[in-house]
Amino acid sequence: MTTIKEKAKEFTKVDRRDGKLALAHIYVAFIALFIGGLCGLLQVLVRSGKFTLPWGIGYYQVLTVHGVLLGLILTTYFILGFQIAAMSRTSGTFTNKQRSLGWIGFWIMTTGTIAAATMVLLNEASVLYTFYAPLQAHWIFYVGMALVVVGSWIVGLAKIMKYREWRKVHPGESSPLLSFMVIVNMAMWIICSLGVAVEVVFQLIPWSLGWVDKVDVLLSRTLFWYFGHPLVYFWLLPAYMVWYVVIPKIIGGKIFSDALARLSFMLFLLFSIPVGFHHQLTEPGIESFWKFLQVVLTMMVVIPSLLTAFSMFATFELRGRQLGGKGLFGWVKKLPWKDARFAVPFIGMAAFIPAGAGGIINASHQMNQLIHNTIWVTGHFHLTVATTVVLTFFGASYWLLPHLTGRVLTKQMNKLAIIQAIVWTVGMSIMSGAMHIVGLMGAPRRSDFSTYGGAEQATDWIPYQIAQAVGGTILFVGIILILYIVVNLLFFAPKGETEFPVGEVSENAEKTPMWLENWKIWLTICIALILFAYTVPVIDMIQNAPPGSKGYKFW
Amino acid sequence: MSKKKEKNPNLKGTLYSVGFVGLFILVSWFMAFYLFIDRF
Repeated sequence: MTTIKEKAKEFTKVDRRDGKLALAHIYVAFIALFIGGLCGLLQVLVRSGKFTLPWGIGYYQVLTVHGVLLGLILTTYFILGFQIAAMSRTSGTFTNKQRSLGWIGFWIMTTGTIAAATMVLLNEASVLYTFYAPLQAHWIFYVGMALVVVGSWIVGLAKIMKYREWRKVHPGESSPLLSFMVIVNMAMWIICSLGVAVEVVFQLIPWSLGWVDKVDVLLSRTLFWYFGHPLVYFWLLPAYMVWYVVIPKIIGGKIFSDALARLSFMLFLLFSIPVGFHHQLTEPGIESFWKFLQVVLTMMVVIPSLLTAFSMFATFELRGRQLGGKGLFGWVKKLPWKDARFAVPFIGMAAFIPAGAGGIINASHQMNQLIHNTIWVTGHFHLTVATTVVLTFFGASYWLLPHLTGRVLTKQMNKLAIIQAIVWTVGMSIMSGAMHIVGLMGAPRRSDFSTYGGAEQATDWIPYQIAQAVGGTILFVGIILILYIVVNLLFFAPKGETEFPVGEVSENAEKTPMWLENWKIWLTICIALILFAYTVPVIDMIQNAPPGSKGYKFW
Repeated sequence: MSKKKEKNPNLKGTLYSVGFVGLFILVSWFMAFYLFIDRF
């Protein structure tokens, strides 16, 4: 007979069948990390000017593999897997129908990934991860990418069904915080990926099949960036879920405020989508006023970002003081620095300070000229996604994977995980730091090694490119270490029980108002903002369309 | 009256920390702005 205590324990565990679905996503994510990371290493070596790719492999081919696998595949798969586990843990086990939908979505995505990856590996689609027209890939690449998006919608649908089911059973109650966050994250993804779906299905696929000769480049880039900026918040929000909900539990503290966390997530939903023009600030064909408006909306993201910073610091300080920390910063010493589940994501949080500052510079309208299309931008997103997000995902893997596999993180692995994060931090500081500096000196992003005909300015860039190669090589060592830990946690770590930590809200926090979960209000504002920011400029783009372009294959 | 106000937790470190983040953002921005004005 099962006792009540045992039953309660069961509820805090992710169901084995849901765990299998989550793990399937996570396997793909880490395979992508290995291949994409290897390509990253090759890239920095080529750009140092000391290495040439063998067997006719092209630099842009390698760059495409790196960008697509790490920017799109690793992130999307890890996030979807993490979300499945988070929903199952906090809203209860998926029904068979919901889980089947999850598997259908997974296989559609995976079919798409294999199709797109095959085309890139065959050198039929070296169009980089932004697949900007008029660079033209093989149509199978675009169909593959479309399948990844459609598959992710189906996985998302399963989660939305679970959430609705929970709310039906618990009328008048706030949903579990982690489930709520998953749904905000998914809503953001579905709304933004509609843009890229329209671009791929209505512009790029017919054009790559030869059904139409020309493509409207400006419109395609606008649709891409309508998707591309919220994409970075789609990556970031799961990291915030870990920070807001999981980290307080790991450090033995409480969630500072449930209401603040929900408000900040809803603000991210509002202000991460109608802002794509800040990636197109140097582009002709968009009136300055609309660029300015989207710059203002972009800056609004500072509010939930600083709310998050405040909430994190407050959680840490309250806990540190509870443990006896004295003085202004004595509480810092009391935090569990030897626990990889805390220390690794903490480095990610710290990296977001320079990353966020850089982001504000990038989006500052005319000032964007300073860094536009320079390798500063590459340095920037290697801090945001490749440090803040990725280190938080690694930190989460140290409890999520053993929780799902019924194993434990040993002391040695915990130590190795901290070493891994230090290696990553050193490598990234060198690589991203060099990219930022040399970007300000004018070095371009997305380009193969070149001396530019012996130009003096280009000669000045070379030492920084060598520094990037050194940093990138250290980062690859970091990838080997994380893969070693992941393989250990999946197959070799000792059997045992690992907690899926979910924090409790502080008893001092105010009650969460129900309007924070009123989707009618938030989705209406979200759609209104999108329409406000995009309708007039898009009509203008279509009515005064530039001449279309035929496709180009420069590789 | 909520408990929070009665207990009045010490969050001075948090205040200084977010102050530091804000200052870091402003200093970085003005450095970039200076470069921008100098070049364009």
